[in-house]
Amino acid sequence: MARNLETWMPLLLSAAVQTIELMLIAYAIGLVAGAFLVAMRLSTRRWLAATAGAYVTAIRGTPALAQLFFIYFGLAELGLVMSSYQAAIIGLGANAAAYVAEIYRAGIESIPRGQVEAARAIGMRTPMVYRYVVIPQMVTVVLPPLCNQGIVLLKETSVASLIAAPELMLRTRELVAESYMPLELYVIAALMYFALAFPLAQAVRLLEQRLRHPR
Amino acid sequence: MTALALPTGVDLHLYILGTLLAGAGVTVVCTAGALVLSVAAAALLAGLQSFGGVAARVCVFAYVEFFRAIPVLALLFILYFGLATIGLKMSPMPAAILGLGLNGAAYCTEIFRAGILAVPSGQSEAARAIGMRRWQVMRWIVLPQAVRIVLPALTNLAINILKNTSVASAVAAPEIMFLARNLVNETYLSPQIYLSVCLVYLLISVPMMKLAGWLETRVGVTAAKR
Repeated sequence: MARNLETWMPLLLSAAVQTIELMLIAYAIGLVAGAFLVAMRLSTRRWLAATAGAYVTAIRGTPALAQLFFIYFGLAELGLVMSSYQAAIIGLGANAAAYVAEIYRAGIESIPRGQVEAARAIGMRTPMVYRYVVIPQMVTVVLPPLCNQGIVLLKETSVASLIAAPELMLRTRELVAESYMPLELYVIAALMYFALAFPLAQAVRLLEQRLRHPR
Repeated sequence: MTALALPTGVDLHLYILGTLLAGAGVTVVCTAGALVLSVAAAALLAGLQSFGGVAARVCVFAYVEFFRAIPVLALLFILYFGLATIGLKMSPMPAAILGLGLNGAAYCTEIFRAGILAVPSGQSEAARAIGMRRWQVMRWIVLPQAVRIVLPALTNLAINILKNTSVASAVAAPEIMFLARNLVNETYLSPQIYLSVCLVYLLISVPMMKLAGWLETRVGVTAAKR
């Protein structure tokens, strides 16, 4: 077991770094695409708002695994061939975008309408209203759920192993196939996810308390 | 398997549709089983949290934080492949329901805790002051109100479990994703099949989302009346 650990740990740790990379790239895509989505969703143009709404519902109502399979296997059949890593980044990013857009929307809707109307009344245009009135106040509302979404995404990356994207779960499965020690290896993998997600979750909890009772 | 000739034309579509619907049935059974397990385990855990001592509360905290921090896929692999090596062999479905239930119980415990905390503490104090015991306060004052408060969150939990059941395909539970993968191997119609799978999930999850939204407005109304 000790000798196994010596050979496993460097491989698993580098795979954990890949998991973090995958999560961060997908998260970045989600944060940016989510902003576009919420802008569409709150647009006065009906068809834009309806399209964004349908996208959010479709993503939130289906499993990430089905989305990844469609993007990786389905689109390849239609001629759009991607590497599994690209498919994982696009799939998880597109998935995160829908949840992030909902978080942004809750943040925007938490600002009393009167403030936006007052800003308009003194002559501010929409970008200025967002820049100086809405966004500064919405940060405290959206920050904790955004961080939680990051944690969800970190765990969701494990599903990308099922389309053979290089990350922690895939590497663990490869080692299981070599050593046939599934219990030890999967427990180690679970503990590595725990070591990443648990401190983050506690940090979010602290952040939430701070934001609720500012000094 | 490959020796069997595949149906053609309309029959092929009926074959795919029938297989996917059978898978959807298993998905629903798996979701329901895991949800029941989650709620039962969470009721126990939330009870320990409310009435237990420090040790019990620490254990509940450890359970919740551990199972919320590890991916469902890792948990299912431990239960299905891992435990088999030490003689605890499980079939795919029990392993899937157990794994999804253990995971769901962690989230459900948090939901119950939030529901109990949402009932104003003045009510419990008043009930204690007129001589009710702690379990009586829970039974007659807190729970009747907490149940209504947690309903929207429980519906969302059910949606999450529904989506997580797809991961059980990795341990060969014969739910819709697993059958879809087999169908793709047989027919190579991956875009059509995976899109149909997504539609089936939406057919189940969208009504549940609507229900959660409706419950939320109902809870809001009763809260406003107080």
